[in-house]
Amino acid sequence: MSDAQNLPGPLAGLRVLELADEKGQFCGKLLADLGADVVKIEPPGGELCRHIGPFLDDIPHPERSLSFWYYNTSKRGITLDLETAAGSRLFGRLAAASDVILETFQPGFLASLELDYTSLHQENPRLIMCALTPFGQTGPWRDYLSSDLLHMAAGGEMASSGYDEADVPNAPPIAPGGGNAWHMGSHFAYMAIMAALVHRTVSGQGQYIDASIHEACALTTEAAIANYIYRGEVVRRQTGRHHAAGPTPRTQFRAKDGTYVCALVAGRLNPRYVRELADLLDSYGMVGDLKDAKYQDPAVIAANTSHIIDDLVADFIASLSAEEVYHAAQERGFTWGAVRAPEQLLDDAHLHDRGFWKEVEHPELGHSFIYPGEAAIYNGSPWRISRRAPLIGEHNTEIFCDELGLSRGELSVLAESRVM
Amino acid sequence: MSRPRALENIRVVDFSWVRAGPWATRWLGALGAEIIKIEWPENERGRLPSTTTPQNLEVNLNTSGNFNDTNVNKKSLSLNVRSAKGLEIVKRLIAISDVVIENFSSRVLQKWGLGYEELCKIKPDIVYVSMSGYGHTGRHHHYTTFGPVAQAVSGLTYISGLPDKPPAGWGWSYMDDTGGMYGAMCALTGLYHRNMTGRGQHIDLSQMVASVPLVGPALMDFTVNGRRSRRPGYPPGNRAHWPGTPLANNYRGPTVAPHNAYRTHPGEYNDWCVIVCHSDEEWQRLVQVMGAPSSAASPKFAAVAGRLQHQEELDEQIEAWSMTLGKYELTERCQAAGVRALPVQSAEDRVEHDPQLRYREMYLSIEHPALGIHKVQSAPFKLSETPTTNHSPSPLIGQHTREIVEGLLGYSLEELRTGFADGTFWPTERPRFPYMEAMLQ
Repeated sequence: MSDAQNLPGPLAGLRVLELADEKGQFCGKLLADLGADVVKIEPPGGELCRHIGPFLDDIPHPERSLSFWYYNTSKRGITLDLETAAGSRLFGRLAAASDVILETFQPGFLASLELDYTSLHQENPRLIMCALTPFGQTGPWRDYLSSDLLHMAAGGEMASSGYDEADVPNAPPIAPGGGNAWHMGSHFAYMAIMAALVHRTVSGQGQYIDASIHEACALTTEAAIANYIYRGEVVRRQTGRHHAAGPTPRTQFRAKDGTYVCALVAGRLNPRYVRELADLLDSYGMVGDLKDAKYQDPAVIAANTSHIIDDLVADFIASLSAEEVYHAAQERGFTWGAVRAPEQLLDDAHLHDRGFWKEVEHPELGHSFIYPGEAAIYNGSPWRISRRAPLIGEHNTEIFCDELGLSRGELSVLAESRVM
Repeated sequence: MSRPRALENIRVVDFSWVRAGPWATRWLGALGAEIIKIEWPENERGRLPSTTTPQNLEVNLNTSGNFNDTNVNKKSLSLNVRSAKGLEIVKRLIAISDVVIENFSSRVLQKWGLGYEELCKIKPDIVYVSMSGYGHTGRHHHYTTFGPVAQAVSGLTYISGLPDKPPAGWGWSYMDDTGGMYGAMCALTGLYHRNMTGRGQHIDLSQMVASVPLVGPALMDFTVNGRRSRRPGYPPGNRAHWPGTPLANNYRGPTVAPHNAYRTHPGEYNDWCVIVCHSDEEWQRLVQVMGAPSSAASPKFAAVAGRLQHQEELDEQIEAWSMTLGKYELTERCQAAGVRALPVQSAEDRVEHDPQLRYREMYLSIEHPALGIHKVQSAPFKLSETPTTNHSPSPLIGQHTREIVEGLLGYSLEELRTGFADGTFWPTERPRFPYMEAMLQ
């Protein structure tokens, strides 16, 4: 394993140009942390996402956005005004030497600058270009405005998430947080780009990808669509558990420390499960009547589901901390979990064992910070954060002068005329 | 002659079951890989139990609607991998395949004698993607997950809901969908790396761990600023900020108002829209769409600070207006004026009423031998040179056993018949489907 740590990532050698805001920066991060050389091209002054908080020490500044830091690891950064003739020409030169372009502009914007795929592809037949946009390049909603919340509404996430009437009367449908509409779009865009890259290893040809965030979100509600298509059912929202055509028993229970446990019990209650559940509860002196022989009869179990879940399981969980329930249950084979706030993950021993947390140096601040790590361990070509997010125009000299061959003087002139 | 797909000539041995793994291989199949799903009816999970069988059909291994949508573009080989003969057959299959993918608990494949070291002996450059709950390393590798548990343990559940209420969480297994995405992403990345270097590898994906990067900015706010998510006003429901609590970014974009869900006419269960104004200019446009009532045009709402400060009143005024319009009409009026608004859409809305999804052919019909003709979800991307349309319905269990065993692996029809008789291809006690009898003729 220690040898593997020194190997290049699986995408080493790939050059990606990223022209992406909040919609696609996560896709760029996925590529960059796996070893691609992702060059983020920002407008002079920096990408607007730099103005999204939270900020380091709560001091707003384009170099202090933690959101920008997180979503732009391992990338290099340059500035370029594509709407100037000089900027457009330089972009064309970069595109000619790149493998992938990821862009999230409004449909038609790059074409208006004659930087559309058809033009760029003529110079570079191996080029893969992915446009990741709210609704795709065609259709009646093509030019609609969006946001994370808007996508969660139209994509169906909200129609599936919310509360039981008993918990929160008249509750609205709830959009889960964290900017996950952008994640959904970025996952599918990454998949499409990788498929095009694998294809290119055989065909030698690039291609154009039209990816839609709305469609990605509409695809991400598990069986809701199948419930409608095959049975005509429209699902209802329930607190902390699956949407369903009719009410289902609760799966979220309050623990002694005031936090919650996700305990999937209903639907699994057979005699063997009840025996194991009784052993678990008994080890904390909370078994109640569950060891009674009558509970080995499926009919009795079915008739007492509410007693088992709402009395015995609920009381057991209420007697312990959520973390204690989680580990005690999992060690006995129960697929249960503590409902944790994000900060609790820093204490998770399993994540530490997997080397999940990464220390990332910010040399300009003389400080390192802890970043979340990888979804999967690539044993033969490791994932890594190769550098913190770029400062505005940090790699202008490196890329325009050292790689494209501009002189320092030319660079100064372009900077003065606000091309970069 | 149909155009080749991106993953033409890639073969995947797919041991996956339930949802996350099959959702991964569904996309590899749409992209053109040959997906061979290894199944055994005695311990099948994914076809049964089924809550999505049409009301007019018997619930059996071949009639789950959700299974159909999750398993289009695949072939099915019924095979008892736990028998010596079955293991030998699957090894012959792996020897001519590119990818092995599974979503069992962390030690299952190893116990079968198909751990990565063994796989390498059979096929040195194999790309092996394991999709377990907690991964193959780490002290809790033996813990198990379903989507909701991965979501709970990773913080994803917590970040969804109203302040001072229990978490609302995600109303479905978001991490089965997303875990499936990562399974496909890992396989594609591994394939690209193999094609460039000639080397395969084991990619150890964990559903629980894969959830954690999805709460990145909240984690960074803690590791850098020490700010906890367990704080007043968080999570802020559908808002960017909960009124009356300290101002802080809540990890969903800019801190602005309005940013909420509002009821629409006629007030049924899914009659809601969402409206967001990212700037004062966008707010002024919304005021115009609303007919510029004096209450909304009030100077206290003119700047974002005022709208955040008076958010309850702001939201009441917007909802008084939104309830006079249907959600699609409201959307059209707002968007025509440059205001961010969209309807909350149920599954029925998406399939029947969403003009964009219809235009983009998101739901196209495919005929399935047992279920009949039904719409199936399309890919959310179009590749200009390589089609991604769904090309076949989900397989009946064991439907392609002869095609694979005889056609691909070169066993004789006699050996196939013997394998059916001795319980290698189907449990001897279990009635066979008619298409299996036909296969043996």
